[in-house]
Amino acid sequence: MRILTWLLAACLLLPVSAAAADLDQLLAEVKRQQIRLSQVDRQREARFLAEKQHRQQLLAEAKARLKALEKQAEALKAEFEANRQELLKLEEKLQASSGVLGEIVGTVRQVAGDLKADLQQSLVSAQYPGRAARLAPIADSKRLPTLEQLHTLWTLMLEEMTEAGKVVRFQREILASDGKPFETDVVRIGVFNAIAAPGYLRYLPETEQLMVLSRQPEGKPLRLARDFLHAQGDRAPVAIDPTRGVFLEMLTHTPNAWERIQQGGLIGYIILALGAIGLAIVAVRLAVLWGVGKRVEAQLADVEQPRDDNPLGRIFLTALGAKSTDPETLEALLDEAILREIPPLERGQSLVKLLAAVAPLLGLLGTVTGMIQTFQAISLFGTGDPKLMAGGISQALVTTMLGLSVAIPLLFLHALLASRSRTIVSILEEQSAGLVSQILEKRRG
Amino acid sequence: MTMAWIEAVNDFIAQGGPVVKLILVAAVLLWTLVTERYLFFLWVYPRLRRQWLQRWNQRRDKHSWYALKIRERLISEARLQLRRTLPLIKILVSLSPLLGLFGTVNGMIHMFDALAVFGTGNARAMATHISQATLPTLAGMTQAIAGLYASQRIERRVEAATRHLSDQLHFE
Repeated sequence: MRILTWLLAACLLLPVSAAAADLDQLLAEVKRQQIRLSQVDRQREARFLAEKQHRQQLLAEAKARLKALEKQAEALKAEFEANRQELLKLEEKLQASSGVLGEIVGTVRQVAGDLKADLQQSLVSAQYPGRAARLAPIADSKRLPTLEQLHTLWTLMLEEMTEAGKVVRFQREILASDGKPFETDVVRIGVFNAIAAPGYLRYLPETEQLMVLSRQPEGKPLRLARDFLHAQGDRAPVAIDPTRGVFLEMLTHTPNAWERIQQGGLIGYIILALGAIGLAIVAVRLAVLWGVGKRVEAQLADVEQPRDDNPLGRIFLTALGAKSTDPETLEALLDEAILREIPPLERGQSLVKLLAAVAPLLGLLGTVTGMIQTFQAISLFGTGDPKLMAGGISQALVTTMLGLSVAIPLLFLHALLASRSRTIVSILEEQSAGLVSQILEKRRG
Repeated sequence: MTMAWIEAVNDFIAQGGPVVKLILVAAVLLWTLVTERYLFFLWVYPRLRRQWLQRWNQRRDKHSWYALKIRERLISEARLQLRRTLPLIKILVSLSPLLGLFGTVNGMIHMFDALAVFGTGNARAMATHISQATLPTLAGMTQAIAGLYASQRIERRVEAATRHLSDQLHFE
């Protein structure tokens, strides 16, 4: 087709106006040209054919290569798949084994944290300070603990266990209750208590130091503790606080006797003042009665010489000084003399009895007012804070206690006074007449 | 044996607090006095009675006003001797429950103190103090009941002895 087009174009291009002579020439020329062109065409055709063959060969070659490569890809894909499967399996295995290990690391970290807290609070740390700090790298780090760290954990745990069962003595700087440090011998009893010369010690976890308790337990526990410091032999009694210091701590919060009395407030002071007055009266009256009793006894032993320094003697003098010894007159005289002597003997007793009766009532009053205050506090702040309530009630009860502690000795002393005076009075009432009779009979002979 | 006994008493005192010690002192005093009275009835009083009877029987005059008064005097003397420590015994008996109450109030104060420090969380500290508070009442009550019985017995004994004596001192 392309060749035909070329031919048409060549025909059209021929000059129409050319001479006829030239026509043969032209024809020859055309023929020549035609031959040349067909030659060129043949050559081109051949070239194209060759080219085509070459291309087809190349295509076949490429196809063959593709096939081979496809085959290769298939094989590689299969291999990849197999590898992937194996990788998955291996990964699973890795996860399984590292999972157990992770748990172990977590446990180690937790145990280290717990032990650190324990050691911080433990009394043993007062003897071996800095133990808790050694556990910090294990408890706080995110990395796997080293073998050395694991050993540390283990030995610290064992050390704490064995030390908890020991009673040991060691030198250590401790703080006095005013905060001044001094070096002294300390005896540690397990993890429960530490004792030094001034008494029981308190452990301060923040600084890992020991401090003398600001208020020591009174009486036996303190005495036992002090004796324990110098105890010889392998056995000695001692009092320990099994709560590891909670009770001893509580002790420093409990008020002493004087603070307790101050809690009673105004009513407490009134009760104590009444008690003091009562005691003063009792003291004076007991002294007086003791003196009178002595003189009456002396007079009883020596009936013949009536003296006017005692009631009995005065009764004798009145009776013996009478003009007539007529029984009726004598009886009247005696009665009168006895009646005169009794009131001074019983003076003050009713007041003591009154005070003894009033003191518990005042105590009750104090308790009731204290309770009113407590309940006012509750109505303001609610029952959310039991400590507030308990403190108020404890204060309220103090007045009751004060009332009782005044009333009990006063009652006892009143009984003593009453029994002493009653003895003298009954001697005067029941025996004086008989004694007078005895004297008169003797004088008459 | 005795050591165990002393230990038990010590434990009781330690549990009940200082007031129990006071009650114990009162108890020792009370029972010493009671024992003394019984011994007095047993040994001293018969001898004294014989002396008084002798003194009365030696008198010729047993019917005048003078004789009456002398007889009254003898009886009064006897009663005084017989009753000598009875008021003390009685007051110790009546003081015992008061001492117990005192111990209870004391224990309650301590309990509320513990409550003020620990709050209601620490039931054990509270229970310790409540038991400490109730022990003195128990001790005081027990002592009062036993002492009351003893003092009543002595009182009756005194009355009987006085009556017996006045029966024997014949007034014609």
